[in-house]
Amino acid sequence: MRNGFGFKDLVMLVLLLAVALSVWLSMVQRDRQWELLQKVDGRIADLEKRIQQIRVAPAAAATTTAAAPRDDAWARPGVKIERWNAPAAASDPAKLPGYGEGGEFTELFEAQPAKLTPYIASDVYQTRVMDRVCEGLGTFDPTTLKMVGRLADGWQIDPDGLWIRAHINPLAHFSDGQPVTAEDVRWTYLDFINNPLIEAERTRSTQDNLKDVKVIDDHTVEFVFKEPLFTNILIAFGDPILPKHYYAKFEPSQVNQATGMLMGSGQFRLEKLPKGPDDLASQWTPGQDVVLVRNEQYWAAPAPLAGMRFRTIKDDLGRLVAYRNGEGSMMLPTSPQFNKLMKDEPQFEKSSYMLKWTNMRCGYSFIAWQCGPRNGKATPFADKRVRKAMTMLLDRERMIRDIWDGIGIVSKGPMNPESPASDPSVAPLPFDPEKAKALLAEAGWKDRDGDGILENEKGDKFTFEYTYATGGEISERIARFTKDSFGKAGIVMTTRPVDWSRYQELLKLRDFDAITMGWGANAPESDPRQIWHSESIKEGGDNFTQWNSPTCDALIEKGRRTMNEADRMLVWRQFEACVAEDQPYTFVRVAPWLRLVKRDFGNVNTYKTGLEPQEFFKVSAAPSMN
Amino acid sequence: MVTYLVRRLLLMLPTLVGITLMVFMLLALAPGGIGAGLQVQGGQMSDTSKVAQMQAYLEDRYGLTDPVIVQYARWIGRISPVKFGQRDLRAPSGDRVPMPRAIDLPSLAGVFAPPPMPRVVFTPATGDEAIGQFKSLQRDAEGARREYVGSVRMFRDALADTARVVGSPLVERLDGKGGAKPADFTDVLVVLDSAQAAAAKATGPEAKARIDALAAAHGKLDAAAATMHQKWALAEETRQRATIAFLAGPYPTSGIPIIPDVISLDTADFGVAFSKNRPVWDLIIAALPVTLLINLIAFPISYLIAVPTGVIASVRRGGWFDMFTGVLYLSLYSIPTVLAGVFAIGFLANKQYLGLFPVSGLHDTAADLMTFLPVTDAQGRWQPGWLLDLLWHVALPVLCLVYGSFAILSKQTRASMLDNLSADYVRTAKAKGVPRNDVVVRHVFRNSLLPLITMFVGIFPAMLAGSVVIERIFSVPGMGSLVIEAIDLRDRELILADTLMIAVVNVVALLLADILYAVADPRVSYE
Repeated sequence: MRNGFGFKDLVMLVLLLAVALSVWLSMVQRDRQWELLQKVDGRIADLEKRIQQIRVAPAAAATTTAAAPRDDAWARPGVKIERWNAPAAASDPAKLPGYGEGGEFTELFEAQPAKLTPYIASDVYQTRVMDRVCEGLGTFDPTTLKMVGRLADGWQIDPDGLWIRAHINPLAHFSDGQPVTAEDVRWTYLDFINNPLIEAERTRSTQDNLKDVKVIDDHTVEFVFKEPLFTNILIAFGDPILPKHYYAKFEPSQVNQATGMLMGSGQFRLEKLPKGPDDLASQWTPGQDVVLVRNEQYWAAPAPLAGMRFRTIKDDLGRLVAYRNGEGSMMLPTSPQFNKLMKDEPQFEKSSYMLKWTNMRCGYSFIAWQCGPRNGKATPFADKRVRKAMTMLLDRERMIRDIWDGIGIVSKGPMNPESPASDPSVAPLPFDPEKAKALLAEAGWKDRDGDGILENEKGDKFTFEYTYATGGEISERIARFTKDSFGKAGIVMTTRPVDWSRYQELLKLRDFDAITMGWGANAPESDPRQIWHSESIKEGGDNFTQWNSPTCDALIEKGRRTMNEADRMLVWRQFEACVAEDQPYTFVRVAPWLRLVKRDFGNVNTYKTGLEPQEFFKVSAAPSMN
Repeated sequence: MVTYLVRRLLLMLPTLVGITLMVFMLLALAPGGIGAGLQVQGGQMSDTSKVAQMQAYLEDRYGLTDPVIVQYARWIGRISPVKFGQRDLRAPSGDRVPMPRAIDLPSLAGVFAPPPMPRVVFTPATGDEAIGQFKSLQRDAEGARREYVGSVRMFRDALADTARVVGSPLVERLDGKGGAKPADFTDVLVVLDSAQAAAAKATGPEAKARIDALAAAHGKLDAAAATMHQKWALAEETRQRATIAFLAGPYPTSGIPIIPDVISLDTADFGVAFSKNRPVWDLIIAALPVTLLINLIAFPISYLIAVPTGVIASVRRGGWFDMFTGVLYLSLYSIPTVLAGVFAIGFLANKQYLGLFPVSGLHDTAADLMTFLPVTDAQGRWQPGWLLDLLWHVALPVLCLVYGSFAILSKQTRASMLDNLSADYVRTAKAKGVPRNDVVVRHVFRNSLLPLITMFVGIFPAMLAGSVVIERIFSVPGMGSLVIEAIDLRDRELILADTLMIAVVNVVALLLADILYAVADPRVSYE
């Protein structure tokens, strides 16, 4: 009964495995050394190139200063030119105490960006990285929210809105030293975004109105549009310009599948940038930290920080612990975390800025009422008075206090409260149950048989179904709160929790009485047509409440075709008032931004555009503890 | 034995097809269906029709408009090493270049004559220019196709609009997800014509408005159909051009022909995950090592602790050690992983408390500059090095993975040891005068190993599938997160590849278990 495999064999096998493992490990170590060597090599090459450029630069500088008075030969005659200086920090960090250069800033992300390549990926995390690396022709001014020049040092906007001509700052160059030219702009729009072989469909379909991009001279480019819409300005100035000489090296399929092809002219550059088609293995991939290093050759004032790092920690608690442990310099706390820190740890504020503010990127949450027919039948909410009454029955101040721990402000309409498109003198509808009851009675809803529930003339009871997407405690709590509030006024609300996929289907089919949701925002103004125009009712468009107001339709059309910013803002304010009057939504809450930032960093200012981390600096002296 | 193996291996194929088909169908039939992740709107668009056109284009591009079973069959065709029909080309970058896809034109049932099929006669460039020409033709073809798909969507919208203007029961049939179907065109026209005839008979100011509205709808519908046909002709023409250039072979062909142009052999193509737009294989290759690393550390630990304690517990049955480990392991087993993970982060990693471990990631930020093994540096300080840094980073996930497995393993060992300890041969051995330790280790333990082998084979597939909870809490980018994301986003390619991989490992592990039985136990035979 001797089995072939004995104890000695086991020992031999284990030893053999140990030998194999150590051989493999030593190979791994060799590879690491090789990678490091490659990196060092790359850096040396980069430095050499830079030295070369510094030698050439004085001559170039002499020629540019000679041409100092601005030459307007690029412009079309007779149209106003708007001129811009080279980009500068909204708040100059160098003037602040403790200013120093260097240091790395680590932002903790809640989710992983799948890719960094511009236009191929477009999630919020990718955008945060891309905004540090790439620049567009223009940008929103952090304090005024007006579109100002970034790569462009001047532009002309056709008063009729059919063309835009921009002049690129001759100093501007990409992080590899190559100048930004009109050809780069043309190539970005026509041969990158609008190349059907590139997977940029989401951006491409927003540029449907773009007819052509013409290169006028080396630094002048003209956009031609099919229709005069204000979004033309956003298309021309908002999108980052990519270096043709870099991206054209790759096949479209390589660009589509690459994860870390992010290069631009901004203040930072990606540390692991693939150099060419043979170097794709070295690119950043999800799971690693995104590391940016300062673009030392930035064409305007370079950033004080030496680098930025973006690390993903999905778990809420893990993120806070990592932040406390010093693994991160900035994070987004949850509302309960923020409140708990405020209440229980007064010493926390000594080491961290606890920021809470509203900005142009704040969206709003709402309850939408079915204004049109549901399955062929009208809902009670077809009547504007009923919708207004519903809003007045909800104590939104208290909702924010009870459900969101007091973080948030009551929303009054579709426009961001920080945007000039919103009228600051307009207040949200008040919480007024008595007036609401009067409005309901006016619309025919009264308690006719004394059972505490409202009925209409036909004797139908006021009942409706409230649909929400499952998966959050918050939506459950909103449902409970609204049910109570409406119940007190004699309205019976039934709830219908559904999963997100089903929820979207119901939106498309318009199969609901009332639903709750939120809209995001990322710019001071957005085209309201998609959500509010009666044209967007059909074919599963985003006007799922089927709200149809000819007055508002006319205002939307007028606003879209108003190229003058100030005039347009006035139209948007009228539009806001029109929506408030009709209340297709009950606007509930604008969610402010919450951020924790270590006091190791200076010049941390909250802007209407959010935060501007490229202005931060690492405080060189020990941070003052008072 | 050989026939048994062959039979088992052949049976695997239908099993795998069954598993992948079932998983795929379940997901496809769930609300939202395959590709629901694509529906989440990214950019901001002003026009509903543009959103719809974008959606239509993306659905066309990823073949989501086809019936579910066709999508599945196409996937099988791509992963199968045996290919039928035209072989793909291989670009120098290593990408497969398939033949341009056929375009189908919705039939308007004889009301609108379809445009004549374009017949392109065209001599493709040869030599150095061939690749450049093919690339630009590819781009034209894709662009024309996009326009065409958009125009189909516009036509369907026009169809639904018309039905709405007519206001007949057709509306209910046409409204809903994805707009109207071109097949309903004739029905709409019939109803529209009769409505127009009825309106013409009526009198009064309202009738006039109705006549105008109907005429306008008719005009729009005609225009949309004409545009669709025009775009189709253009798309078809560019497609034919691109196909001719493709057949001229700008790149070398891929695979080995068996019967030229009919059957060939080629590598399996797992495709591109459309939610992430990356090759599925790349995604799996990135996630698998992380999961394997954690599990390969965790499982030896759980076996090395659980098995000896199980043996000791069985030998000293009822003693304090048996009681103590029993209670300890069972109480560990009852702590949910979520809670343990939160405690581990909150106490072990938090610097306010112990702060012994890092919270996330697999390496320190300075790991690139570390030596591999621990060293003492010039200042005489001890540096942990890359390897220890890695182990230190995975310590908490491994801890969470391990603690729950002690109970099952040690109880299993204990039970099978007890079975054997009371057997006759043990008594005989003891009577022979074999020392007690030899009896336990040589006779009883060996005979008790069988169930443990089976258990290991059962656990192995789970190792590859990854642990969703632990991966989330500790931000580990492993297989579990990949699978969950694939399901959330309803990513066809990724789900199918994941399912296939897990299924293959499971089936192979089961086969391995059966073979190991025969090896370990001479009484088992498959002859």
